Amino acid sequence: MQQFTVHKIGPEINIAGVDLSFTNASLFMIISASLIILLLFVGSKEKKIIPSKIQLIAEMFYTFVAKMISDTAGSKAKPYFPFIFSLFMFVLFCNMVGMLPYSFTVTSHIIVTLIMALFIFIAVTVIGFIKHGFKYLSIFVPSGVPAVLLPLITIIEIISYLSRPVSLSVRLFANMMAGHTMLKVFGGFVVSLGILGGWLPLSFSVALTGLEILVAFLQAYVFAILTCIYLNDALNLHH
Amino acid sequence: MKSFFSLSIALTALNTNLNSAEAGMPQLDPKYWASQAFWLILVFVILYISLSKFYLPKIKSNLDNRENKIKEDLENANKFKEQSEAKLKEYGLILDKAKKEVNKIHFDSKNALDKNIQSKKEVIEKEIEKEILKAQKEISELKKNSISSIQNISENITANIIENISGDKLNESSVKSAVKEISKKNLSKYL
Repeated sequence: MQQFTVHKIGPEINIAGVDLSFTNASLFMIISASLIILLLFVGSKEKKIIPSKIQLIAEMFYTFVAKMISDTAGSKAKPYFPFIFSLFMFVLFCNMVGMLPYSFTVTSHIIVTLIMALFIFIAVTVIGFIKHGFKYLSIFVPSGVPAVLLPLITIIEIISYLSRPVSLSVRLFANMMAGHTMLKVFGGFVVSLGILGGWLPLSFSVALTGLEILVAFLQAYVFAILTCIYLNDALNLHH
Repeated sequence: MKSFFSLSIALTALNTNLNSAEAGMPQLDPKYWASQAFWLILVFVILYISLSKFYLPKIKSNLDNRENKIKEDLENANKFKEQSEAKLKEYGLILDKAKKEVNKIHFDSKNALDKNIQSKKEVIEKEIEKEILKAQKEISELKKNSISSIQNISENITANIIENISGDKLNESSVKSAVKEISKKNLSKYL
């Protein structure tokens, strides 16, 4: 669990009695964001008709997210494209940077994912109320439900709506933490079983690393696509 | 597999106890929550602003440019294709026309040549015929002349022979008639 510990880097920054010190978590957030900006800077620097490799990667990310948004939330969600793109890229790069040995996985901390999920939740709710006013509450009352079941269904809908930030944040956090813990466990086995018995956990470790890279991408994708789906609920009320 | 996993868990627990002083999940320690939240918001806001203001519009314009360029190129290609097809048609028409002309010229020249040859042939044939007629006339004249000269010669010879044999001069006209009679008989054999 040592890999998840947050420790202070540099002097303590204390604003109004709150400890806002620069930590390794902050460092890796900045590293991830810098990598994204570097990729997009290099990828958009040259305006070639036939793209260079990095330009191709940047444009692939662009079209990938653009297609994801238009597929799930329709054309109304276009103004939110930069946000979802940044979100997807940030989560993806934090996950991927976290896969490097001796690095820190920003998204394996519940507070980070919870803040992102809460922001999405609040933003989606606000957008819903702005677009539809109090009619937005009809999201809790699905059409075509028998009157007897309606109170029960409404309660379930409200609970499921309110649990969105929890499920969204816990999914990412738990996946990241579990994956890294597993890697750590198998890494520990390799050491403790030594040169004779360590080969099996080592091969497991290699396989798990591949799996974790997949999970890192998949969780970023899931995080972004769920945001799109929530946004879709808020933008296109009748589903 | 199950025993393997339980073993792994036990070993991990041992490992963590040995390695790290603090037990439990560091994620649930609220000491740096505020710091993480603050830095997350700061970094994300900067990332969002720089992406939405600078990089995404650039990439979008790049993509749009490429799409427009491709569309333009395709349109141009189609235009050129149509043009080339039209030219090809024109070329085919010209070729057909030329072929027809060639055929016509060929036919005409052949006809003219034939006519020319025919007329020349006729002229030559006529000349040849004339020559033949002339030759035939000459031949028949020669024959006639030769007959009369032969008659004369034979008359003389007969007169001489008779004179030599009998010593008398015969009547010239009787010799003539006798020779004529014999020669008439024999001439029919040769003419």
